[in-house]
Amino acid sequence: MNDLDHQRAERLMLEASVEALSPSDQSWLESHLAACEGCAALAESTTSVIEQLRGVSVAIDPELVARTRLLVKFRTRELERQHSWLMPVWVLCALSWVIGIVTAPLVWRGFEWMGHRAGLPTLVWAGGFVLWWAAPALVVVLLLGVGRRQAVSRT
Amino acid sequence: MGATTCFFVNSMASEPQELARGLRRRDPELLDRLIEQYHYRLFRYLMYLTGRRETAEDLFQETWIRVIERGHQYDVRWKFEAWLFSIARHLTIDLVRKKSPLAGADELDEASGTSVSREAVEAALPMSRSPVELIANREESERVASALGGLPAAHREVLLLRFQEDMALEEIAQVTGAPLSTVKSRLYRGLEAMRDRLEGMKQ
Repeated sequence: MNDLDHQRAERLMLEASVEALSPSDQSWLESHLAACEGCAALAESTTSVIEQLRGVSVAIDPELVARTRLLVKFRTRELERQHSWLMPVWVLCALSWVIGIVTAPLVWRGFEWMGHRAGLPTLVWAGGFVLWWAAPALVVVLLLGVGRRQAVSRT
Repeated sequence: MGATTCFFVNSMASEPQELARGLRRRDPELLDRLIEQYHYRLFRYLMYLTGRRETAEDLFQETWIRVIERGHQYDVRWKFEAWLFSIARHLTIDLVRKKSPLAGADELDEASGTSVSREAVEAALPMSRSPVELIANREESERVASALGGLPAAHREVLLLRFQEDMALEEIAQVTGAPLSTVKSRLYRGLEAMRDRLEGMKQ
């Protein structure tokens, strides 16, 4: 037995404590441990470390668990409230998009007519149309932003 | 925990789809049972990860709040505990970043500081019955906690997940976001260091 054998044994015993070894490595390690007292002691010590690690425990305050349960219930209710507030906003948003798409050609013509009557450049009245079309979405984004900020400040 | 509850949680755990649906709905009964089932393991993980009882308690509560807030993100391919622990881990790292924005690569080390062993020891729960066993157990817990406290947090973490939580290597890789090879090498180095430290304490 040389140093390389001991190094291999040490590497394999660490590997064995984490995952299964190949049958050939396993049998080599077993025969080495049977013949080498030093490595056998090291293997025993490794096993003991793992046992000790498994035995480590902590005390948990039952009050902490009770407090957490309450907190979770409170937050759940809060999120539900937020959700119920957001639902009509989403419905309105969807509705406004549908109406916006359906009426877009008419509104476009309306803007075009007004633009021509007022003698505005195409860019201006077309910009007005885009703004009008995007206004509901911008309002929703604004509302969501305010809602989220309020939620963050509450937590 | 009653037998009925235990049965319910186990059957829920065996049905990730059910669990995911419950989390999406923020089912209060399910959340209650999950807290009942995982509170000890989560707290132990946080306690040894952060080394400070107060910090662990704050993160414990924050983790459960995050579970209800992000329940819809639960991926059924993950085991619930792996997902739970990864939330706890991210919150710990966030806390470290808040405290020291210039934290280095091994950010978890910043979370643990140096007082880990003392507080972990104070939190050690005597499991034995007789006073003699109780003292022996406490001494052993002190030694192990002290040895664990001296390890880099990244090594300590994988040791806890592997040997306390009995997680598979792949699950540990999921929780820590590290490649499998890194998880293995951290485990080997951690075990080696623990063995040396515990041997050193005996002498």
